[in-house]
Amino acid sequence: MLKLRIIPVLTFNGFSLVKTKQFKNPRTIGNPIQAAKIFNRRNVDELIFIDIEATRQKRKINLGLVSKIIDECYMPITIGGGVSSFEDIDNLLKIGADKVLIKSKAIEDPTFISESVKYFGSQCISIAVDAYKKNNSFYIYQISGEDISLNSFILKMNDVCAGEFAVNYVDNDGMMNGFEIGLYKEIMNMTKKPIIAIGGAGEPNHFVELITNGFFGGIAASSIYNFTQYTPNDIKLALNKNNTLTRL
Amino acid sequence: MIVIVNYDMGNLRSVEKALNHLNLENKISDKKSDIENSSGIILPGVGSFEQGMKNLNKKGLTHLLKNEVLLKKKPFLGICLGMQLIMEIGFEPRKNKGLGWIKGEVIPIKNKVLPVPHLGWNNIYKTKESISDTIDKNFYFIHSYHVKPNEKLEMMYTDYEYPMVASIRKENIFATQFHPEKSQKAGLDLIRKFFNE
Repeated sequence: MLKLRIIPVLTFNGFSLVKTKQFKNPRTIGNPIQAAKIFNRRNVDELIFIDIEATRQKRKINLGLVSKIIDECYMPITIGGGVSSFEDIDNLLKIGADKVLIKSKAIEDPTFISESVKYFGSQCISIAVDAYKKNNSFYIYQISGEDISLNSFILKMNDVCAGEFAVNYVDNDGMMNGFEIGLYKEIMNMTKKPIIAIGGAGEPNHFVELITNGFFGGIAASSIYNFTQYTPNDIKLALNKNNTLTRL
Repeated sequence: MIVIVNYDMGNLRSVEKALNHLNLENKISDKKSDIENSSGIILPGVGSFEQGMKNLNKKGLTHLLKNEVLLKKKPFLGICLGMQLIMEIGFEPRKNKGLGWIKGEVIPIKNKVLPVPHLGWNNIYKTKESISDTIDKNFYFIHSYHVKPNEKLEMMYTDYEYPMVASIRKENIFATQFHPEKSQKAGLDLIRKFFNE
């Protein structure tokens, strides 16, 4: 049986790892290479590393640093931040990334996703979806500030054969108050592609809650591994106890 | 020295890293002399079947690899796309001829409920019929197509709505749909075992 994936997320600002709350107030939390080393030793299922400032600051991700992070990992790793050309994707895959995470470029130019899928294969093209709620509907958060409906964006990404969706709920980012279950239900109704849920994990019970509401795929988190006593293994044990298979 | 075949199809670095970790001497190369002088060959790969065959042909590697693996019988490990390419025919994205070392095809995963690609950690089984015969280890899979061999082989299976071939073994050829280089200890052990046979 396929296992539910438990995935730590490392968010980087160009200098150090940071953790935001609702995408604001970044708090410095450490060194990315050290963090990758620890998560590798903890035998996690997968790791996500995102340079959250790359697009806004109009710079490329630091390949030298990312390469050192990847070198610590004997599990799959997904890299995101300012990915906007074939060359960017190729550079990341060459140094050992398994998947790349694309957001802004996917919103601007869906054809770029279909072209990337054709060349690199859909399995390595993941779409970052940063959702928020307004008047009871979900929208995509992006730099320009324009409201884009979640629904039409997901369907568009389905059409261009993206490989996976990593869905973050902005309102719960760093709040450790649980997952926005409605968001994941809505997305699961729109796509058959693998989904990673991010945003809101604060205790093992939040993961169990998401699963008992029919979610399956990957569950990613950051704050819980930085600001509480829980490790990825504690989460997996809690899920296993609840009849959800995880890799222990 | 083990040669990791460079045919511009991604993720060579992960394989190199795994071999270094295991102290297995290796080199990423597409050079005839390196491949001829190698003690073993790894064909990794991420991407589509069609592009993979195009690149192997463009680099003039198809005949060379056949010589080294089928005639000289060097230990060969195919990973993911590298497993699929040794079959006769692939369908990603349309019908193409493969290397043809193993009889059979590479077909899309046809699932009714579970998502495609098959992505994540899954067990492997020694027989298609009984999942009780489990190797109690998880390996990392990420693929939308799977091989369907049409000859008698030593095979392992994984279960994703229906049993799919996870690995095949025929003499000096070992090929896995999953990524041993990305499967932590379970995967590294497997690579070590194969090349130390």
